[in-house]
Amino acid sequence: MIGGLSFVFANPAMLAALVALPVIWWLLRMTPPRPAAEVFPPLRILASVLKREETPSKSPWWLTLLRMLMAAAVIFAIADPVFNPRSNTLASSGPLALLIDNSWATAPDWERRIEAAAALIDDAESRDLAVSIVFTGDRQHDATPGSAGAARNRLAAASPEPLPADRRSAIAAMRTAFQDAAPGTLAFVTDGIEADDGKTMETLAGIGAANLRVIEADGSQAIALTNSSNENAGMSVTASRLKTDDRRSVSIVAYDARGRAIADGEIDFAPGEAVAKGTITAPFELRNDFARIGIEGAATAGSVHLLDDGFRRRRVALLSGEARDLSQPLLSPLYYINRALAPYADLVEPRETDLAVAIPELLEQRPSVLIMADIGRLPEEMYPLMKKWIDNGGTLIRFAGPRLAAAPADDPLVPVTLRQGERALGGALTWSEPQPLADYPTNGPFAGMPRPADILVKRQVLAEPTADLAERTWANLADGTPLVTTAAEGSGRIILFHVSAEATWSNLPISGHFVEMLRRSVQLARSGGVASEGKTQEQTLAPYRLLNADGVLVAETGNARPLHVVPGKAPLASPENPPGLYGSEDGFTALNLLPRDAELKRIDMAAAGPHSSERLTGEESWSLKPALLTLALLLLLADAVVVLFMGGAFSRVRMARSATAVLFILCGTLVLLPLQALADDARADDQRILERLDTTHLAYVVTGEDDVDRLSERGLTGLTDFLTYRTTLEPGAPVGLDISKDELSLYPIIYWPISANAPMPSPQAVSRIDAYMRAGGTVLFDTRDQFSSLGASSNGTSPNTERLQAILANLDIPPLEPVPTDHVLTKAFYLLTNFPGRYTGSPLWIEAQLDTREEASDRPARSGDGVTPIMITGNDLAGAWAVDTNGVALLPTVPPDEMQREYAFRSGVNIMMYMLTGNYKADQVHVPALLERLGQ
Amino acid sequence: MASIGHIVERTPSGEVLSRAQQRAMLVPDCLVEARRIANTVISGWHGRRKRGIGENFWQFRPYSEGESLSRIDWRRSARDDHTYVRDREWEAAHTIWLWADLSPSMMYKSTLGAVSKESRALVLMLALAEILARSGERIGCPGVMEPVSARNAAERLATAIMLSPLSEGLPETSMIRNASDLVLIGDFLDPADKVMDRLAPLARRGFRGHMVEIADPAEEVFPYAGRTEFTDPETGEKLTAGRAEILQEDYQRAYLARRDSLGSSLRHLGWTFIPHRTDRPASEALVAVHMYLSGMPGRATHGGLL
Repeated sequence: MIGGLSFVFANPAMLAALVALPVIWWLLRMTPPRPAAEVFPPLRILASVLKREETPSKSPWWLTLLRMLMAAAVIFAIADPVFNPRSNTLASSGPLALLIDNSWATAPDWERRIEAAAALIDDAESRDLAVSIVFTGDRQHDATPGSAGAARNRLAAASPEPLPADRRSAIAAMRTAFQDAAPGTLAFVTDGIEADDGKTMETLAGIGAANLRVIEADGSQAIALTNSSNENAGMSVTASRLKTDDRRSVSIVAYDARGRAIADGEIDFAPGEAVAKGTITAPFELRNDFARIGIEGAATAGSVHLLDDGFRRRRVALLSGEARDLSQPLLSPLYYINRALAPYADLVEPRETDLAVAIPELLEQRPSVLIMADIGRLPEEMYPLMKKWIDNGGTLIRFAGPRLAAAPADDPLVPVTLRQGERALGGALTWSEPQPLADYPTNGPFAGMPRPADILVKRQVLAEPTADLAERTWANLADGTPLVTTAAEGSGRIILFHVSAEATWSNLPISGHFVEMLRRSVQLARSGGVASEGKTQEQTLAPYRLLNADGVLVAETGNARPLHVVPGKAPLASPENPPGLYGSEDGFTALNLLPRDAELKRIDMAAAGPHSSERLTGEESWSLKPALLTLALLLLLADAVVVLFMGGAFSRVRMARSATAVLFILCGTLVLLPLQALADDARADDQRILERLDTTHLAYVVTGEDDVDRLSERGLTGLTDFLTYRTTLEPGAPVGLDISKDELSLYPIIYWPISANAPMPSPQAVSRIDAYMRAGGTVLFDTRDQFSSLGASSNGTSPNTERLQAILANLDIPPLEPVPTDHVLTKAFYLLTNFPGRYTGSPLWIEAQLDTREEASDRPARSGDGVTPIMITGNDLAGAWAVDTNGVALLPTVPPDEMQREYAFRSGVNIMMYMLTGNYKADQVHVPALLERLGQ
Repeated sequence: MASIGHIVERTPSGEVLSRAQQRAMLVPDCLVEARRIANTVISGWHGRRKRGIGENFWQFRPYSEGESLSRIDWRRSARDDHTYVRDREWEAAHTIWLWADLSPSMMYKSTLGAVSKESRALVLMLALAEILARSGERIGCPGVMEPVSARNAAERLATAIMLSPLSEGLPETSMIRNASDLVLIGDFLDPADKVMDRLAPLARRGFRGHMVEIADPAEEVFPYAGRTEFTDPETGEKLTAGRAEILQEDYQRAYLARRDSLGSSLRHLGWTFIPHRTDRPASEALVAVHMYLSGMPGRATHGGLL
């Protein structure tokens, strides 16, 4: 015993090996091998060279010393010097009773606790004492004294539990077992945290052991997070520890659902304080991602605070009626919604523009909310799907727009019956002024928000007045017409904003209120919103993820029971319900180890009466072996370096050679690597698509009727020739398209001759056309019936027109109008007044443009954003264009006027120019004005 | 590993002599160029194409005042009014001093070389003696044998060497009195400066020298590897190299530098320098020396190097 430390060799016999050191010394002195003797006459020349790196025939003394030290270190390491060996101090008057805490706080130093207990069992075995062992975290306790071997097995099988210690039943079991004969020594290996009743030591002393030993750690690991709340500046976290007099600061980290640390904070315990609060400062949207909060560096169940999905962000799916150019984002309705919701929700957008594909794709991602901006009509088979999703709890938010205004009134997905068409306020033909908003009604989620004074609505869709309209309305205009209406469907909800989501109908989307309104609407849609609406039934939740003793969420649920959640009563962690997440992936409740705002208290040792107390740390014996072996290894490394250095391994020539070799290998690797990186991801169709992309092609729909298709092909060939001859546009050969299969997006315009005798296109094909139009393409429908329509059917429509109506019924098309005289189509290349084909007289229908009346009348052409997605004519354009291989027209015009054919070609040229240049041509008409303004 | 080089016994003179005669048979007679041996008065066999002491008639020239009257050729003078003196063509024998270094370092032979350096040096010396004697030159060996002009000079030189062994190092030059040619054969492993210190006085005395440096291939290539202890056969000094192979480059550089500096210093003196390796045929060196002695056809163009 030196200076309070006892020091013993575990294998003293090995020290005898130290005798070998002189032998090692002698061997080391011999190190260099005997040189080969050579006679060498030019020795003097050699000597002049050799001087630099003369190798001594014997190792230098310090190298020998180094090696001797190494050998000595190894010998001492094998002899295994140990500090603090244990001594046997058990009372032999009765069996040994072990009461071991395996609560959450014991997890970090569990190995040491096991060692301490195992040492006691060893002592008992050497004195032939029976051993009774009880763990406070177990459900069943068996305190009957048994053999030391059995006790050791139970000790090895025990593990820390993610639960607080339950000592009452353990001590009761022990008391029963030792009713007749008191134990000799009762050792209590404790975590130092008092259980709820506060009488642990008192009852323990009551067992009547001759010798009571309390073994505890310093308790510094016992820090638990007990509460967290989302506050303005950040998330406030409460932590509790065993009361000590020192200052302690722990850092806390917030993790997201995938276990990534996304924010951190600090909790400072003042001296003598057991409870402290800290804040994790993070932006609101980041806080939404918090899934759990943990103490950095602590691996206990208590140092983890789980959060449930009340915090989770909603997933919001977005759908739009039209996909505008990305170059004009401010005109896209989704842009404002995106900007408003991105901080609060996970936004998903479809990859396809085809609604028949996009909606199932979006619903598969299980969004809480689906926002549809200006969609008037869905593909027929989508309605049941949407209905089911809303019934299951989905929230549908819709925005009005030209398409919705043009949609038929029987739309099942609007909350109120809508009048067809929209109402314009403040136009030239109305007396009404643009309307501001009224105060928000008190029944909606917008209640409490201040009335926005600066919002003006110029245009809206109107609801048919019904008796319950008022209670379905969340926001009104000043004149009492509803702005936001809603209807509950099943367990879901439909919300309709009666204005469009971009700034054409009102300036609502560009105000802060839009953000707040959307946020509140989305917040309503949460799946965990059961409690917020005051439902009070009891729930039983299956265990989903459980915390283990190390504070890690694991999927194995063991023998955990389902959790009963009784409203108004916080569930408690118990052996049946260990802490963790209960529920399913979609919604779960967090059960934390400690009840809210619990406080950790020390066990009151004074109540125990006479006892001896020892520290887990003080008892620890530690071996010098690893340190000595490390030292020997380091010496070996040093020796190797020295030997290499003396052997000239670092001479310049060597270095240069090895550098060359390394360079060579590197070069080889570089040369060889890219060969492996080549991968073939080309697809069979790529070559054809590339060819199509190289030049612009005119395209037509293959109807299935041979003569129609041949005429389309010849007609487009004629137009192609005309374009090539007259304009800089030189299209490739026309392409016939099978709209159910072929890639449509490669063509600026698709000519579709309607033929009543051709088979009806499938819904999928029509859906693809819809997607094509939505993505910016244009379809030119030609019914070719200008003259056949006279008296063809009872209501004056030809079969071709009826077929067109059947096709269009499944398409989401905007309102149409005949080409106005100031439309850019009339000026795109030639100046035209009408658009004849083989026939003349049928108007060319295009998408109606807004705000015609607001435009200044002196402008020669109307500006319009984007290109009309649809054109309809009955003039049989292809018939007029069709030429044979010699360039001679195939069909006569009606009436037979070659000038009309010329105008038909000019119509085709104008349409193509309009397709390819869009409103650029409309802007061109401003050039004189612009030049004048620039002072040219 | 068996050592590469070893010390050999001294070669018997008889064997050397016979080998030398074989070598000499391969080489034609050597007419030693005698530009500068004006004072060598002993007559030899070769007309020197100028007047001097000899037996053959060279020219008649008018008698000039102060000449000995006995030189007048009266028979010619009687023909006309002038007095004539009969000049004879100068026929002189040249004295060549041959010398070989037989120090212990010459007793070295490695596995790469065909014979020891000493053996090669003796063969070269005797072969030269044979060739030169055939041409009637006077052969001497400094410190061993006075110059003789005899047909069997090689045999006599061999006998002389047998009786009084050659001294080590560079020759005793006190015996050499007149300007004559000097052929030195040895390994010249002493530092170049030291060698030159000895040779420079000789050159100042007007000797023309030819040095044949005999080297064993092992000395030039340095084929050693691993831990090696080198011993100097002359001093017995020992030197241990831990890893001999890493010395190779540096050693070769030093060795060749010494040879180059020696060669260039000698050429400054007007001497010639012929390196020779024992793994090459002796005739190579013999021919080279022969060419230098007989007027050095390549001297002007090759700067004295072959």
